Amino acid sequence: MENFTNETIDTAQLPKFEEVRLTALHPDYWKVIMAQLAVLLLILATALAFALYSIEELAAYSNRLIVAAAVLAVLIVFFSRIAFRKKAYAFRNHDVLFRRGIIATTTIVIPYNRVQHVALHEGLISRFFGLAKVEIFTAGGSSSDIEIPGIEKEQAENIKQLLMIKIQKQL
Amino acid sequence: METNFNVPQRQSAVGIVVMFFDTIQEYARALWPILVVWIFKFNTIPKLWLTLGALFVFVVIGIIAYLKYLNFTFFLDNENDEFVVTEGVFNKTKTTIQLHKIQQVNIKQSLLQRFIGVHALDVDTAGTNDKEVSIKAISHSIALELKSRLLDNERKVQTESVSETPESAFDEQPFISIGLLSLFKVGITSNYIRSLTLLLAFFATIYDNVMHFSNNGYIDGDEFSSYFERNVLMRSIGMLVVVLLCAMLVINVVRTIVRYFDYKIAKQKGSLLLSFGLFNTKSTIIKPEKVQIVAVTQNYFQKKMNILELRIKQATSGGKEERKQAIEIPGCNKNERDAILKLLFSKIPEKGVMLKPNFRKLGFAIFLTIVLPLCGFYLLAFNGAPQFFEFNYLAIVYVIFVLLVLCFGFRNYRLYISDRFIIKQSGAWDIRNEIIEPQKIQALTVSQLFWHKSADIGYLTIHTAGGNVGFQLGDFTVIKQYVNLWLYEMETSDSNWM
Repeated sequence: MENFTNETIDTAQLPKFEEVRLTALHPDYWKVIMAQLAVLLLILATALAFALYSIEELAAYSNRLIVAAAVLAVLIVFFSRIAFRKKAYAFRNHDVLFRRGIIATTTIVIPYNRVQHVALHEGLISRFFGLAKVEIFTAGGSSSDIEIPGIEKEQAENIKQLLMIKIQKQL
Repeated sequence: METNFNVPQRQSAVGIVVMFFDTIQEYARALWPILVVWIFKFNTIPKLWLTLGALFVFVVIGIIAYLKYLNFTFFLDNENDEFVVTEGVFNKTKTTIQLHKIQQVNIKQSLLQRFIGVHALDVDTAGTNDKEVSIKAISHSIALELKSRLLDNERKVQTESVSETPESAFDEQPFISIGLLSLFKVGITSNYIRSLTLLLAFFATIYDNVMHFSNNGYIDGDEFSSYFERNVLMRSIGMLVVVLLCAMLVINVVRTIVRYFDYKIAKQKGSLLLSFGLFNTKSTIIKPEKVQIVAVTQNYFQKKMNILELRIKQATSGGKEERKQAIEIPGCNKNERDAILKLLFSKIPEKGVMLKPNFRKLGFAIFLTIVLPLCGFYLLAFNGAPQFFEFNYLAIVYVIFVLLVLCFGFRNYRLYISDRFIIKQSGAWDIRNEIIEPQKIQALTVSQLFWHKSADIGYLTIHTAGGNVGFQLGDFTVIKQYVNLWLYEMETSDSNWM
């Protein structure tokens, strides 16, 4: 107890999470998203083509439907691009920050001493580009977990190692 | 037999069978629409194709099961005290769990697993709702050994928190007991919303039956709905409402008394012991260090009668059911509330700096619940459904009611921040105060819509192990300042959140 002091904290002097320079996702991750989208859109396009071919009543609207589908596809790609560019992360000394969102900008902060466990996930396409996803879990349920995609495999391993050391140190 | 868990281990080889059936189940669940189509076309598809197709599917699933088996490894990293599981054929996942974070290890056996003589082992931490790791097929001896090894580490930490059973607890005098009168007061003043929905559901059924009846020929058109009949109908409906309201109150009172009869709270070694119930007595134990959120609810009537309701949310490591449940203490008075809060927090929570929501919160709520429905209503009324105009008075009643609820809700919507407590107040009629201690925070989320940037307002969500507490459209600069402060406090102290 003799070492215990309780000075007033100057809140203005605290490190500000909103001013932290965040790291963007790896550029190759955009290719991963595009590949995933391409597969999805291809399936949808096939379904549409199949529907146009087999349902005769739709024939009259075929042009309009195709235009609508194309616009939808462009919109999906556009919003994916925004979502990709918005995503960013930072590892500070004591916590991890992750920013995401399309319309709203959401930043979630997890201190290392609240992390329960960490997982490394490599998707099929991501693996092709040498990328991995770091998943960080807390006891606060799924809404307070972080998934950071598009990190180089080696770096992801390092991050995971770093997190494990940080978690351990908290004891 | 001493198994070496320090090198990556596979599951039992017979585990392939388990993997096989698991994979079939997984794919069947994903592809059931196709399967349904197949079943309907069963007769039209040539038998040869069907057999070949089925054979092909089985072979593919067999290969996938084999690969899953090959790629699933687990080992204990003694150096870092970690349990590492690697899985996945195409998508690979490597999960690492610190041994001291493990809350539960369950050994299970399904019918199939019993058939081939293997066991499943689930590892659960305080994290997400699901089990974190599930090893599907290992022999019983290895399962037991692994379990003891996994829990070995934890035991040192856990021994002191092993609780004594609540049965032995009531030697001491209960320091709070809630009498019949308090429960009666709670019964007549709470759960209006639920009673109202029950009432509405009841009415809807009756109305449905009446319409059914009239369609069957008893009333054969609009002509019969003359003024006289309507008058009678109105009066009987009024009577019905009064009778039903009384019935609801009685049901409410009976339910409250049956559920919480003889509510006793006793102190023991800093924990709270609760026991209540008329027919089956329930006992629970509340440990102050496990408490995450305490909610105090009180409405206008209850304030006049000096009763309130406490809800306590604890951190649990168990299943989803347990997680959702909060412990309720109904009908305590102000002094009793203070005594309980003092025991849980060692201090009566004080309300500190007040944060108000921006007026846009009210505006948006009005837009969503009044403007939009009214627009829809009149759009329908003007476009071919003129009978809607007869319900004009209903629309007015609705607008006044909702406006009142929203205004009161907005007025009560506050966030109070002091050094040791965060209190969120909300509610229109039942005013609810949710109390959190900053050291119980797990993570913090701040969020801002881009058109709110210039107004400098935004959202804050506080995640705890007992659920989330959010505050909408507060002053964003202040929110960010407090987030920084809380982060600082969490990161500089090793306070125990559980």
